[in-house]
Amino acid sequence: MATTEGKILIIDDEEVIRSGCRQILEMSGYSVDEAENGLVGLDKIKKNDYDIVLTDIMMPEMDGMQLLEETSRLQKEMVIIVITGYATLENAITAGRKGAYDYLPKPFNPDELLAKIERGMEHRLHLHEVQMLREERDRNMLECSNERARTLTIINSMSEGVIAINRQGQIVLINPMASKIMRLSEGRAIGHTFDEIIRNPDLKKSIVDSLQEVQEDLKTTRLQFDTIYGRAIEASITPIIDENKECIGTVAVLIDVTEEKKIEKMKSDFMSYVAHELKAPLGAIEGYLNLIIDGIMAGKPETEREMIIRSRDRAHALIALINDLLDLSRIDRKKSLKEMRDLDIGEVVRETVDFYRNRADSKSQILQLDIDDNVPVIRGNREDLSRLFANLISNAIKYTPAQGKVTVNVKRTNSHIRVQVIDTGIGISREAQKNIFDEFYRAQNAVAKKITGTGLGLSIAKKIAEDHHGYIDVQSEENVGSTFQVTLPILKEE
Amino acid sequence: MAKKILLVDDDPDFIEINKTILETSGYDIDTAGSSAEALAKVRSTHYDLAILDLIMEELDSGFTVAYGIRENEKTRDLPILMLTSAEEKTGFTFELAKDQEWMKVDDYAAKPLKPAELLQRVQKLLQE
Repeated sequence: MATTEGKILIIDDEEVIRSGCRQILEMSGYSVDEAENGLVGLDKIKKNDYDIVLTDIMMPEMDGMQLLEETSRLQKEMVIIVITGYATLENAITAGRKGAYDYLPKPFNPDELLAKIERGMEHRLHLHEVQMLREERDRNMLECSNERARTLTIINSMSEGVIAINRQGQIVLINPMASKIMRLSEGRAIGHTFDEIIRNPDLKKSIVDSLQEVQEDLKTTRLQFDTIYGRAIEASITPIIDENKECIGTVAVLIDVTEEKKIEKMKSDFMSYVAHELKAPLGAIEGYLNLIIDGIMAGKPETEREMIIRSRDRAHALIALINDLLDLSRIDRKKSLKEMRDLDIGEVVRETVDFYRNRADSKSQILQLDIDDNVPVIRGNREDLSRLFANLISNAIKYTPAQGKVTVNVKRTNSHIRVQVIDTGIGISREAQKNIFDEFYRAQNAVAKKITGTGLGLSIAKKIAEDHHGYIDVQSEENVGSTFQVTLPILKEE
Repeated sequence: MAKKILLVDDDPDFIEINKTILETSGYDIDTAGSSAEALAKVRSTHYDLAILDLIMEELDSGFTVAYGIRENEKTRDLPILMLTSAEEKTGFTFELAKDQEWMKVDDYAAKPLKPAELLQRVQKLLQE
């Protein structure tokens, strides 16, 4: 006996009807459950899934109408057929309104019962299909809206500006970055043609060309332009081609490259400055050599000797400049490639001061060194820090007249080591102090006094201090002296 | 009377080199190390030729001097030889100076010029 045909619940207070129906239905392969009143029936409906509920209307405890009301709230996928002793139209309509699918008038014979049940089963199957379709549709709708929301979120979070334009030239999408770059609110752009919105003629032309694109493979046009707000923009314009190989619009991707351009310009300015600085001494040397070779100085050996000495000095300064440039590029190298070790700063400073003692002596200068007791070790690159102190001490000696004094202090505070280089030199004007750490900057009074320098020493010193998480500053008064101070943090053991 | 030439350069060695060449050939040489000094001198003294260094200190270039010379009624026709150690391809240099009516330079050359070439150019400008 097949029991997979359908599951049926019979609710009736008359045992005879229940067992009669059960017999007929079970013989036809249905699986049957029974309940003697609405209350018991409702309980069973809650606990089981039935395909069909066959219920009497007149019953004690809970009648059929009440049962219909209760089951409609359960939202179960089942078919309810009411059995009614007095088969009035009125009862049937009321039951129908309350969710019954069909009614079976008493008395009924087995064929009538089976016919109703079969019809109910068909309806049940139909209901199931409808439900399945509805669920599938809901799922699709959810996926669709999720997909759309996801795509929009991605486009809106892009660091590139995106503008989509349809075949009619109307802007259909503009993401926040594009709004920012073009200084256009979404509201002012959407629906308007690019012609009224986009001002740059090159960008306009690329969009027009792109919209007329007919070839199959996507051709991206790249261009660069400046906005009227002074931003440098790199744009890629790509036509959107549909499956019929027709252009249905175009998408412009905009990247703000202002900062990159600035860095590029700084690099190229630096290069041309360096080229000029390298050529000037070579030009001077060549010029002097021309004079000597052409014999113009033949009658004046003293002047000729002076010119040779000048050439030697220029060559010497050129070597110093090249060394500084090499230092600069070495310091610019990745910090991670540098060897960092525990250093006694006092010792590094002492070595540097000792190295320059001869030079100070030759100018009859006093070079004094004071180092605090128990200066802690700090982590650093020895070569770089030696270079930093060497630059400050050699500057102090260079810019301090004979008989002057250069004092070097190493002090510790709670959290820092402070190295001061104090001189009694020509000093630096307030104006020049602002630029003194810039590459190639040279203070006017230094140039006027014909003190040679590359203009790189202090910028190198600043870089090294910053590489060690410290800083450098200067206090100075013209014709009184300068104090350069390097502050380095004492970092706790990690 | 010897022709009077103003040499303008912020590099004392270039002044020294060109001064030596020109003085050896009998010219009367005056020098200036900045554009301000050069302009003051052309206003107070008559020169037959000005030799300018294109790039001096920042914001202080041979152009400043050339412009000042051409702008002034008295010095408008003073011949100018522009010298530079800058690359020609840096763009804003000779071509601009040559074409701009208001500061047209009469000749230009890269530094350093060999003594014979400098003298040749100077003679041409002085129509000797």
